[in-house]
Amino acid sequence: MGRTRREFLATCGAGAALWAGSRLIPREILVSPLEAEEIPPDRVRELAAFALDRAKKAGATYADIRINRYRTQLVTLRSQPDFASGALNHVPSINETGTFGFGVRVIAAGAWGFSGRHLVTKDAVAAAVKEAVAIARADAPLRREPVRLAKVGAFTDAYRTPVKQDPFAVTVGDKLEFLRGLNSEIKKVDEIFSANGTIALRRESRFFASSEGSRIEQEVVHTSSELTATAVEKGRKTKSRTYRPHAVAAGWEAVERARYADHARRIAEEAVAHLKAPSVDPGTKDLVLMPSHLGLTIHESLGHSTELDRALGYEADLAGTTFLTPDKLGKFRVGSDLVNVNGDRVRPESLSTCGWDDDGVKTRQFPLFKKGIFSGYQTIRDQAHLIGQEESTGCCYADSYASVPFQRMPNVWLEPAQEPVSLDDLVSGVDEGILIDGRGSWSIDQQRYNFQFGGDVFWEIKGGKVGRMLADVAYQSRTPDFWQACDGLGGDATWENVGLQNDGKGQPQQVNAMSHGCPPARFRRVNVLRTE
Amino acid sequence: MATLTAKEARALADRILSFSRVEECEVTIEARESAHTRFAASDVTTAGIATTLALTITSRKRGKSGTVQVSETDPASLERAVRRSEEILGLAPESPEWVEELGPQTYPAIEAFDAATAAAGPEMRRDGAAAAIEAARGASLAASGFFSTDITSSAIANRKGLFGFQRATEASFSTTMRTPDGTGSGWAGRTATRLADLKTGEIAATAAKKALASAKPKDLEPGRYTVLLEPQAVADLLGTMIGGLQARAADEGRSVFSKPGGGNRVGEKVFAEMVTLRSDPFDARVPGRPWIVPLGFGGGGGGAFGAGAQNQGLPAARVTWVEKGTLRNLSVDRYWARKTNAPPVPYPGSLILEGGSGTLDDLVASCTRGLIVTRFWYIRTLNPQTLQQTGLTRDGVWLVEKGKIVAPVNNFRFNDGPATLLRNVEAMSASVRAGRMVVPAVRARDFNMASRSDAV
Repeated sequence: MGRTRREFLATCGAGAALWAGSRLIPREILVSPLEAEEIPPDRVRELAAFALDRAKKAGATYADIRINRYRTQLVTLRSQPDFASGALNHVPSINETGTFGFGVRVIAAGAWGFSGRHLVTKDAVAAAVKEAVAIARADAPLRREPVRLAKVGAFTDAYRTPVKQDPFAVTVGDKLEFLRGLNSEIKKVDEIFSANGTIALRRESRFFASSEGSRIEQEVVHTSSELTATAVEKGRKTKSRTYRPHAVAAGWEAVERARYADHARRIAEEAVAHLKAPSVDPGTKDLVLMPSHLGLTIHESLGHSTELDRALGYEADLAGTTFLTPDKLGKFRVGSDLVNVNGDRVRPESLSTCGWDDDGVKTRQFPLFKKGIFSGYQTIRDQAHLIGQEESTGCCYADSYASVPFQRMPNVWLEPAQEPVSLDDLVSGVDEGILIDGRGSWSIDQQRYNFQFGGDVFWEIKGGKVGRMLADVAYQSRTPDFWQACDGLGGDATWENVGLQNDGKGQPQQVNAMSHGCPPARFRRVNVLRTE
Repeated sequence: MATLTAKEARALADRILSFSRVEECEVTIEARESAHTRFAASDVTTAGIATTLALTITSRKRGKSGTVQVSETDPASLERAVRRSEEILGLAPESPEWVEELGPQTYPAIEAFDAATAAAGPEMRRDGAAAAIEAARGASLAASGFFSTDITSSAIANRKGLFGFQRATEASFSTTMRTPDGTGSGWAGRTATRLADLKTGEIAATAAKKALASAKPKDLEPGRYTVLLEPQAVADLLGTMIGGLQARAADEGRSVFSKPGGGNRVGEKVFAEMVTLRSDPFDARVPGRPWIVPLGFGGGGGGAFGAGAQNQGLPAARVTWVEKGTLRNLSVDRYWARKTNAPPVPYPGSLILEGGSGTLDDLVASCTRGLIVTRFWYIRTLNPQTLQQTGLTRDGVWLVEKGKIVAPVNNFRFNDGPATLLRNVEAMSASVRAGRMVVPAVRARDFNMASRSDAV
């Protein structure tokens, strides 16, 4: 490079004049979608080898290619009265997606370049490699130092989510019939306006090959389902109650074991009770949070705060930074001694679990908080060295073939108490408080300090006993204050593996799914608001 | 540029429709080329380009429907996709809310394409990043940000001969700059059809100025304040209003525009006299599609409570939602139109809040005491029947006293919302594009800043 970075920057002020620059790939070397050919599965390895060879010849010092197929299915059934006749209408909706494509990532001249395409052909792969290398070379003069990657092994291996019953093999008709039975049960309860049943499936078939020698095939399957009852007082109030078995990396067996039939009527009755429940009296109260609720609190306050890319300022323009700066690693107290939290991508049935990440790093478990002290970051290969670490913790993921892989949250879970503490034990220690189950509204600042969470349902605790239902509850706190106020956790028998989907991050935004296993937990003297 | 031409889109749609064996089959095509450069910690981080294609095929027969979305375009894959949509249709029960497929439509021409934006390469995006990095360095700040250029070719077609095509460009640049001591952060950004309208240097200078001016904020207690919301903050708050403007939700008693006991509030005064809220797909500042596109993934039943899916393919039209504070229209999908004997009304693709004149500076000059808010973050609805929300201020809040900015102050969490904001509005500047909206800066009284936020 002829110019230093400073000289280059100094000449960029009048950049507009240079913007007439041409696109990299002339149209004639692009393949028209109308000329596409079907790609047999055995050609995938051949195309990957071709891409890596082309990248090397173009001067890339590193290259990887992901050739991925995604399938999703969303089946919903909404049951509500006809506006005119009042008769019960069951309204089905079925959407399936099936997408296939590849993404090539290179390091050339010390900078990253990426190109992803939906057409998987030799010509398209060649064009994409050329494009990715040209993007890297365009950006190289701006890099302060060349991209560095943490060491990684070379793997030729495969991983598959253990699935007992393929959820895509259960017919759409059977799924709708299943939801119709549940919705009808909900609608038997007077004052229920509508019932909604949802089944959502995702399968990612990923092939990864890198210039460092890995050839990895993976198939990851996610199954989720939920059932919601809604009660409406026209023009005044709407209250819903949801039964949501934890979304899992597993098959249809997860829906069957959820015993939906035992819960349909219960959630209908609780939705009606919620509509009639008195508003909470705001003030300082103790909280007992069920796993179905606490999982999201863990996600927002402890999951996002331990992302290294946020700590480095890489997400400052949208997702934000974090209060857990590198100088606090190994020293800063976030929680009480009870708070032991791990990151992992290996725990069975957890949504982030797979064999290797999108950097080709073997997945594993690692600590984030030990006895309340901040003890680790979620990392990827090009950032580990920035905090003096030699290996990545395997948290790289892209949500599509067309997305750039970057640091995403793994499963982040809270260890249970070592003693056999029950939910009743936690509640019995509360004189005046609230028991919260399920997800409501949630919001947290861009450095992960100030949060405010609602819930799906709330019960008053008085004198160590769970009493009447309350409405319009939210609690507001600061992450370290809140977790240091944690003085009780349930034991192993109370621990649940809470799955969370649709976590957004990045520019352009990508989605991610992970699990936040936890026991029920007790927090002392938290600020409770009324959100009427 | 590399996205589909009208001729290619029509050929692709015709090929898909040729495989159809049922009465009704509709295809939408979205071919997109999205290129971006990210920068952070005053360095370029990642950059890339993604060429994607989404072909959405819906087969329908007497109230039953099946929808699949695919990306592969070889004939065997396309035929499989059509067969799968028909297979799903065969397994689904009839939807009581079905509407018949549209016949041929006449779509207006909406200019949304800029050749210079489509021709932009990675060097141009790098230079934009470099300008921000340089501006930050000159002020001892750390810059992060995002520069993207997109080209989208969209088409809609069905077996009855309906066809529409549009090619559009969009360029977006945003940057956040932070002071080294971590006490100051400033954001600025813009989205436009034409790259030339972004003015990246101006955006970088604004972000730098805000970062410096927000450093070492003064402690201010939570409470009710007059707020001076910059256009981005107004757009952030109005985001949930888009979903709230539905006749069905109002008629069913589930919305802020429901009457207690039943019916909707069309014809009632709902906001301050100066509030006029409308949608205009022909407005060059934020051009829309020539046809209606539903929110989310269109399909047979329209999701949880329907989101205008049945209006897909109707010609785009201007709608006035609120005129001088009075609710004039709510969106009505074709099913709800049949149920309530009303004409269909398009779902708002974006909102235009009619402004006044002048700029934020004029609103400041006439303010006795208030808070300037740059933008909001992490907004969630607490109550759909009041549109009460919670969220946080971010990237620059300042206290105004007697017409002058006196000090930067800490961030806040608010518990308030767009419905109360539009009732309490006192003055508005001229409107400008902010994200997908066109809105003014707004001064409004009694905004509830509920707690302090330590975040910067």
